[in-house]
Amino acid sequence: MVAADFIEQLLNGLTLGMVYVLLAAGLSVIFGVMDVINFSHGELFALGAYFSLSIIAPFGAGTGFWIAIVVAPVAVGLIGAAIERTTVRPLYGRDPLYHILLTFGLVLVTNDVIRLIWGTQQRQLAVPEYLSQPVSILGVQVSVYNYFMIVFAALLAVVTWYLLNRTKYGMIIRAGSQDREMVRNVGIDIDQYYTLVFGVGAALAAVAGIVLGGYQNVNTGMGNSVIIPAFVVVVLGGLGSFRGAVFGGLLVGVVQTLMRAYSGSVLATFGDTTLTVPNLEGLTVYLLMIAVLLVKPQGLFGTRGEESDGEGEILVGGYGGVLADSTRVRLGGIAVVALALAPIAILFMGDQYYLVVLNEILIWAIFALSLDIVMGYAGLVPLGHTMFYGVGAYTAALIMLHYSQSVFIVLLGAILICAVLAWVVGSLSIRVSGVYFAMITLAFAELLYSAVFKFDFTGGSDGLLGFEALLGLGTVGESLSNIEFGLLGYELGQQFVFYYLALLIAVLSFLFARRMMNAPFGSVLQSIRESEERAEFIGYDVNRYKRRAFVISGGMAGLAGGLLAVSPSTVIISPDQTLNWIHSGEVIVIALFGGMGTLYGPMIGSGVFFGAEEFLSSYTDQWRLIIGTMFILFVLFVPRGIVSIPSLVAQRLETANNADGAVDMDEPDVRSDD
Amino acid sequence: MTETVLETDGLTKRFGKLTAVDDVSLSVADGEFRSVIGPNGAGKTTTFNLITGALSPSEGAVRFKGEDITNVAPHERVGRGLGRSFQITNVFGGLTVRENVRLAAQSVYSDEINPGEALFRDKNGFDEIAEQTRTVLEQIGLRDRADEHAEALAYGDQRRLELGLVLATDPALVMLDEPTAGMSSEETQATMNLIDEVLSDRSLMLIEHDIDLVMRVSDRITVLTRGEELASGTPEEIANNEDVRDAYLGGVRE
Repeated sequence: MVAADFIEQLLNGLTLGMVYVLLAAGLSVIFGVMDVINFSHGELFALGAYFSLSIIAPFGAGTGFWIAIVVAPVAVGLIGAAIERTTVRPLYGRDPLYHILLTFGLVLVTNDVIRLIWGTQQRQLAVPEYLSQPVSILGVQVSVYNYFMIVFAALLAVVTWYLLNRTKYGMIIRAGSQDREMVRNVGIDIDQYYTLVFGVGAALAAVAGIVLGGYQNVNTGMGNSVIIPAFVVVVLGGLGSFRGAVFGGLLVGVVQTLMRAYSGSVLATFGDTTLTVPNLEGLTVYLLMIAVLLVKPQGLFGTRGEESDGEGEILVGGYGGVLADSTRVRLGGIAVVALALAPIAILFMGDQYYLVVLNEILIWAIFALSLDIVMGYAGLVPLGHTMFYGVGAYTAALIMLHYSQSVFIVLLGAILICAVLAWVVGSLSIRVSGVYFAMITLAFAELLYSAVFKFDFTGGSDGLLGFEALLGLGTVGESLSNIEFGLLGYELGQQFVFYYLALLIAVLSFLFARRMMNAPFGSVLQSIRESEERAEFIGYDVNRYKRRAFVISGGMAGLAGGLLAVSPSTVIISPDQTLNWIHSGEVIVIALFGGMGTLYGPMIGSGVFFGAEEFLSSYTDQWRLIIGTMFILFVLFVPRGIVSIPSLVAQRLETANNADGAVDMDEPDVRSDD
Repeated sequence: MTETVLETDGLTKRFGKLTAVDDVSLSVADGEFRSVIGPNGAGKTTTFNLITGALSPSEGAVRFKGEDITNVAPHERVGRGLGRSFQITNVFGGLTVRENVRLAAQSVYSDEINPGEALFRDKNGFDEIAEQTRTVLEQIGLRDRADEHAEALAYGDQRRLELGLVLATDPALVMLDEPTAGMSSEETQATMNLIDEVLSDRSLMLIEHDIDLVMRVSDRITVLTRGEELASGTPEEIANNEDVRDAYLGGVRE
């Protein structure tokens, strides 16, 4: 009975594992060949399931399912190929960072299109009746559909393997994932194969979406829920390795399922001590991933070494030659004054909601600024930066609940705890570089995200509530939510007090960061961004500088998280609001959008992002579609971000003026020196 | 007898079954211009990487100024006075020429900067570093271009800056990795003149392909073949060495 039960769980694990295999195979080969971290892979997966819904509807489950499983992947494959041609192609040769911004935009667009066409309610994908029957083989009872999924996916995996290993196209693609330059050097135009790889990868993802949709259900969050495990699979197996994707997919599927089924159950009893399976569901795969990356950074079956430096260019933004330093300082001053006066305007408008939005913008401006320190200056791209934002928020809430309600003590605590966390994570992660660093920080963030669900003191999935901050030291002071005072007959409430606190902290954080970047420490960080190897060979301990930058950045992100908890409009600190990976993506997108490597760019990015979101969402439900499109257009045409627009405009004007003379179409000189 | 600045003792590096460097023992005297030559695959670059610390040896030791540095990190070797230049120009392209040199000079003084200063004091406010930066800019002849971005410099000036970065760290020994690779004979001459001009008071170790060049400039030459040291001696001794002639000079000249 126990054995049969175990085999049943194993089968469930393999079933899920096969879905991961199909997803990861495309993801991994796309990464291996083109260096594209494709976040939109999960949405292509969902798109496959939604297409099937529409195909099955007129035909009925009996024949419709079989039509769908052929037609939908082809359709999604074509969409994938079109995406590659129109948006991904112009970005080859740039840092993989830009693919994050691009594919993040694609996620928003695709997801919103799905909502628009199919609605937001959960749907059931009908499968033929003979597939959904339970069947009992050797005392193990699972649905026929399980066997169908395993066999069908295995078949596809074998076909893919055959194509990759036994055909000329496959050989070229595999060679490309090992050493693209070499393939070019022997005279093969590898770029031509990119569209094919992207299309086939998308089709495989669509198949995965259909079979999983039939197994569970179809919902708008399905892409989001598989993309991170799929990344884990790819990294575990080794980027670019098909064998790794298969092995990693099955491993993650089985481990996830078994941990879910058996956590907390008794393994064995020795006298008085019982050995139980630790309740680590959700944590195990991330622990596994971190362990593998630390021991073998290239993954279990990875063949490629560490990313070589300088393969793509990171484009930092800045006003550069267009606006003089003094103009920038003046503009900054004007911005601060305008922000300081904004509440008065809002007061006359009478809608304090705008203040809540401004508060969010300020908190995220600090968060994005913290990211810029490591990303724009030290050249490190953490995909898990929200761990500091989240841990900061949780730390602040816990301090308020258990120790002190003083705003200053709470924020200091959040900074310190996050700095320590950043030191630990940084010490372990900084040894690996490039994409591996991005992935290992993602694993740590997901580990913490899963962990807060597990513990009582973090409030599990409900999160923490019932805390309140006092503006003062110790227990002496006034509660933020009680502070109210009148001005000219108007009543100024809690939001105002918090707003000025947040504004003050944002300005101080910016001045701190700017000072730091003009001091010896910051100057070394910039040299590391320019050339890590060179920095090392003029005598700098590169890893130590990176780690310290990471600690400072982590502490500042913790401050942003702490502010979120302190804010009077925050009632609950929950896992999804703070630690969900999507926030790590958002903060990168905001920093790039604003113009990284400038400090003020990411802060402006926060303002524009949340401002646009607020503005658009009040007019249309499809605001994600518009913001996503905006990201895609920005990454294609304004890669240095909003702050580079003045110099782009100046350049256009100059070009127009010199239209008859020699036209200089070189990249504008828009780097920033401070 | 002058002092020995660099010594390798039975230096060996194996990659799997391949022995790239096999029991190489060199000794470079203070002030010497030493060249290491050899055909492709002789282990020149591996030897270079073992000495700078980019690779760690399978066996053997590296001693610098009498201290064992075999297990010392590359940046720490630079700190002790072992500088290197790069074959492909490797400067901080997005930063100004002055900032490039200043960063190199700053690394020499970084032990004297306390954490508070490192975080908050204006990087241009350190007199010794500024002085060192000025001197080096003067020496490499780029003072007038100090405010330009390094990537905007002409190739020749970038090579000057490259050497300036090495010079600013105040090295006792400079390792040069084929500094004239891919250059025309005029460019080669200009580069060697520059090396002579700015680095003549340092010990030099040149890894080079071009035998004629090496014969002209070196005090002593070490010839490597298949990872092993074939001969060491003055240019005349090397030119007259039978083994070297057979193994290298007698072969196909480039």
